[in-house]
Amino acid sequence: MTVNLRIITSLSAGVAALLLLSGPSFADDQSTERTWSEIRSSVIGERVPEDAAGRLVLGAPMRAEDAAIVPIEMHLRLPKEEKAKVIQITLVVDENPAPIVGVFHFENGQSIFDLATRVRIDSYSFVRAIATMDDGRMYMAKVYVKAAGGCSAPAVKDPAEAQAHLGEMRFRVFADRGDAQIQMRHPNYSGMQMDQVTRLYTPAWFVERINIRQGEKTLFTVEGGISISEDPTFRFSYNSTGEPVTVEAKDNEGRIFKQTFLASGT
Amino acid sequence: MRVLHRNAPAFGLAMLAWILAAPCTYGQVPPEPEGYRLKDYRAPTPATLRGATVLDTAGAEALWRTGSASFIDALPQPERPANLPPGTLWHPPSHASIPGAVWLPNVGFGELAPETESYFRNGLTAASQGNMAHALVFFCLRNCWMSWNAAKRALGYRYSAVYWYPDGVDGWKAAGLPLEEARKGP
Repeated sequence: MTVNLRIITSLSAGVAALLLLSGPSFADDQSTERTWSEIRSSVIGERVPEDAAGRLVLGAPMRAEDAAIVPIEMHLRLPKEEKAKVIQITLVVDENPAPIVGVFHFENGQSIFDLATRVRIDSYSFVRAIATMDDGRMYMAKVYVKAAGGCSAPAVKDPAEAQAHLGEMRFRVFADRGDAQIQMRHPNYSGMQMDQVTRLYTPAWFVERINIRQGEKTLFTVEGGISISEDPTFRFSYNSTGEPVTVEAKDNEGRIFKQTFLASGT
Repeated sequence: MRVLHRNAPAFGLAMLAWILAAPCTYGQVPPEPEGYRLKDYRAPTPATLRGATVLDTAGAEALWRTGSASFIDALPQPERPANLPPGTLWHPPSHASIPGAVWLPNVGFGELAPETESYFRNGLTAASQGNMAHALVFFCLRNCWMSWNAAKRALGYRYSAVYWYPDGVDGWKAAGLPLEEARKGP
């Protein structure tokens, strides 16, 4: 029951309604927390994170339609009286063989910020987001997601098509909602996907770093891994200063992709 | 009537939420496909496998207690991609299985690379000690096609006493039966 409660409190009301109605039947708390206890120190060190309630809300579907593209939302909402800021959020899928999905760095610290991306989930798992403050405190939110096979699911786009559009980017601004979206064409092969013809694994080929800045100021930097979905997409809080926005990405084969956009988007 | 009417939108919303949360495929039993299942391995499985005997938990337990059958766990396990940067945290989930079972990961995919296929054949030869009439019980988890595919494949190899235990580790655990850390076949 503690699991249900914790999940419900860390989700938006709409998603919580789905949970309540569908009568979740999770694996027991112990078995699902077991993996986290095994990987925790490798992910965040020895510091024990506090509950993120009232600071960081993590949103994810209870049962994902497509395990290779599970939408994940992180809503950072530090209380007004909080002086410290969040300098990084680590996104983890416990049961993925490569559990660290990505680390989002905020060079200048953030108090209120929304971020959304799409991830691969390999088996029923807790998804967790750990926010690290500039004074070292950590806050953790988690959600249980039923999805499986996301790391080995075949790519949607065939290799030729992926190659032809490699590195193409789109930057869209949704001024009415105060956010913007970066979409990048890259197969982000997990290394766990079997080639349908040769029956061999396609080598891992993924974007390992993305830096997004407006003018000279970095909005955030992502260190990503193989658990980010094909064609990496990030949606984030955005208040334009009018200066151009530059996206610079590097993949694990050393390719650099860089593009500058008008502040108002493409 | 008026009350009903007033609640109708709320009811509609509740139904919509339920439908969204639980895809309609869940709870339905699909028919047996002709060939192997090729994708979406975590989904409801058929009630039967032609040529094999389907076991419920009681049946599986009874056979397990006789000690005369070999239990084959077909849960997949990913291999670390060769070119993953050395510092990347790699932690394939640990797996508890039926005591005494042999874990032959990745043999339940719809199509196998030649090396996986020979790994499977060798694993079965070892488990059956070369006796094609030796009882083999295939399982993984509930709603997992890997055991169905593996059992079907074993029938194709002409093993004659093939059992399929669809509730697998989930059913075993739910019945309060013991589990132990899975032992992978060499």
